Amino acid sequence: MNKLLQVLAQRRDLTLTLIVLVALFITAVIISPGQRFPKEESLGFMTVTLPKGWPIFLTLENLTDILRTNAIIGVMALGMTLVILTAGIDLSVGSILLLASVVTGLVIRDTNAPWIAAVALGIFAGTVVGALNGALIAKLKVQPFIITLATMIGIRGLAKMFSNNKTVLLPNEEGTQGYAFIEIVASKWVTIGSFVVLAAVFALLLWGTVFGRYVRALGDNAKAADYAGLPTQRMLVAVYTLTGMLAGVAGVLSCALDENADSTQGVAAELDVIAVVVIGGTSLAGGRGSILGSVLGLLIIMILKNILGLNNIGSNEQQVIMAGVIILAVAAQMIQGSSLPAWLRIGPLKN
Amino acid sequence: MPARLSAFTMIALTTLSTLLLAGCGGSGSDAKYLVIFCQANNAEPYRAAQNERFEELFGERDDVKLVIYDAAKNGTKQVEQIEQAIKQQPDLLIVAPLNNATPNKPMEKAQEAGIKVICLERNTTGKHYDTFIGCDNKAIGRMAGEFIVKALTEKHGEPKGKLIELKGSEIQAMNDRHDGAFEVLQPHIDAGKIEVVHTATANWAKTEARAKMTEAYNATEGDFDVIYAHNDPMAHGAYLVIKGKNEQAAKDAIIVGIDGLAEEGVKWVEAGDLDATFEYPLCVDKAVEIGMKMIEDPDFKPEATYILDSRPITGK
Repeated sequence: MNKLLQVLAQRRDLTLTLIVLVALFITAVIISPGQRFPKEESLGFMTVTLPKGWPIFLTLENLTDILRTNAIIGVMALGMTLVILTAGIDLSVGSILLLASVVTGLVIRDTNAPWIAAVALGIFAGTVVGALNGALIAKLKVQPFIITLATMIGIRGLAKMFSNNKTVLLPNEEGTQGYAFIEIVASKWVTIGSFVVLAAVFALLLWGTVFGRYVRALGDNAKAADYAGLPTQRMLVAVYTLTGMLAGVAGVLSCALDENADSTQGVAAELDVIAVVVIGGTSLAGGRGSILGSVLGLLIIMILKNILGLNNIGSNEQQVIMAGVIILAVAAQMIQGSSLPAWLRIGPLKN
Repeated sequence: MPARLSAFTMIALTTLSTLLLAGCGGSGSDAKYLVIFCQANNAEPYRAAQNERFEELFGERDDVKLVIYDAAKNGTKQVEQIEQAIKQQPDLLIVAPLNNATPNKPMEKAQEAGIKVICLERNTTGKHYDTFIGCDNKAIGRMAGEFIVKALTEKHGEPKGKLIELKGSEIQAMNDRHDGAFEVLQPHIDAGKIEVVHTATANWAKTEARAKMTEAYNATEGDFDVIYAHNDPMAHGAYLVIKGKNEQAAKDAIIVGIDGLAEEGVKWVEAGDLDATFEYPLCVDKAVEIGMKMIEDPDFKPEATYILDSRPITGK
């Protein structure tokens, strides 16, 4: 416990993010509408009966529901964390999502290939676009903003060419590949599980490997990293390729959850993804941030959206409140201990 | 000189690819009549279906060459494209305005140049056209409202029940679809029979509708009778959520959408996922009929507006 506190004290940015998250969670429990009827809930190993008046927010059903809904943004945020750590940005993730969804949908609808092949092709399509992003950024040395802006436009166009501007409906009669795909991939535990496993893998990649340290070094000071002999170009290609792959995964999940590929998928998703990463304390200037932070960022956004929805708040009001909380969460990270009065300081100061 | 070489290569490549693309588009044709259709945004399935139907109907006629421009949801681009169209002196210009004000000026210019203009589906404030062909979202909303009242009466013996509304984004179509339905529902709401238990904006998108419906389901603890969604993808998103939670509830719920596109709503109604959808007419058949009369018969005077009726598609 003492050690945990020490770790937290060293990483004040995350401490404050965590405080925001906990405060939000408690608020959500308090202001959540209560159940009107007692309800049984299965916790896997036992069944409990939640009484009348129990906050709807705090039910396993609701919490897993929102995890599933937000897993798609979460998966993309993992890649975006790496990209932003290198001081880059990837605006094309929403378009890659659509491309992967369309590719998966077309393979399932128009061929007899097993669904797993469709999944692989969808993810592969995303990976290829990611690699293209990375190669262009590394070789042409153009700002990632510009390259990924171009691919954001072009890839969405390409996806719509493939689908002929139409919605690609999956066959969902029992016994078809489409049915199997939906039943398995859209299930709660596969959707949430994909996110959890990928988050763990990417946290490990960033925290425990040489690659991870190189990524931070690159974002911290690209010139210094270059002079130090780090393979900066290859790293950039790798980072954007991984991000494309994750957007591909998000596309496959979207296709399964919506039971179709349609042109509204992934629209403006890049903004949600970037918001999650930034709320999670990753600096747009690069070099500073973590996967854990992005997971916290996702939880903050997810709980906030959910509690506003459960309370049936109007969509315009929701937008205003969301903006306020985003600014609050980011401001929390900006507060340096030294600028606070002594009695408000949490943990030891640097220096 | 690698730098100069690459610059030269880039210029050559750009020129070549532009030429190639242009070559694909402009096929030399000696059709008698030129019809230009300025579409607001090809990417919407509804509008893609319009384009397809235009190509089909005009394609049957050897004497007509059809050119379709896509403004891709960009107002400036639509203005440019209409101006470009005017320069080609078409026999008929059909404009599907992106919104009700942006194309006013160029449409006026087209009329001044003596070009016959049809305004399709969305009316403009300037009214610089020979005829407007469209449909009435409010009337469609009323039809949906009447269907809901009827379905609730069948279920409970009287128009009584709990309703969830999934709205589109804040544009006129959304307001009209809402107002139309509530014109019919309001008396029953005032009488305390019908209750709106949850309202959410899902911006016409299925993914968003799933998220919003999940919240609505949890917030109402599954206690509702009707889902009224402003379009079919949102209605189907809601259906998927309910089915995922409770198969029986998905069968019992009265789920109503709007648009009735062949590839979407119609299929979902046939599959029994939705109870009803209300066709939002493509308006294309009427536009071709009236348009050809305008081209071929100089004495023909079209009416100022043609409002097409919607068609209910029901199942379950």
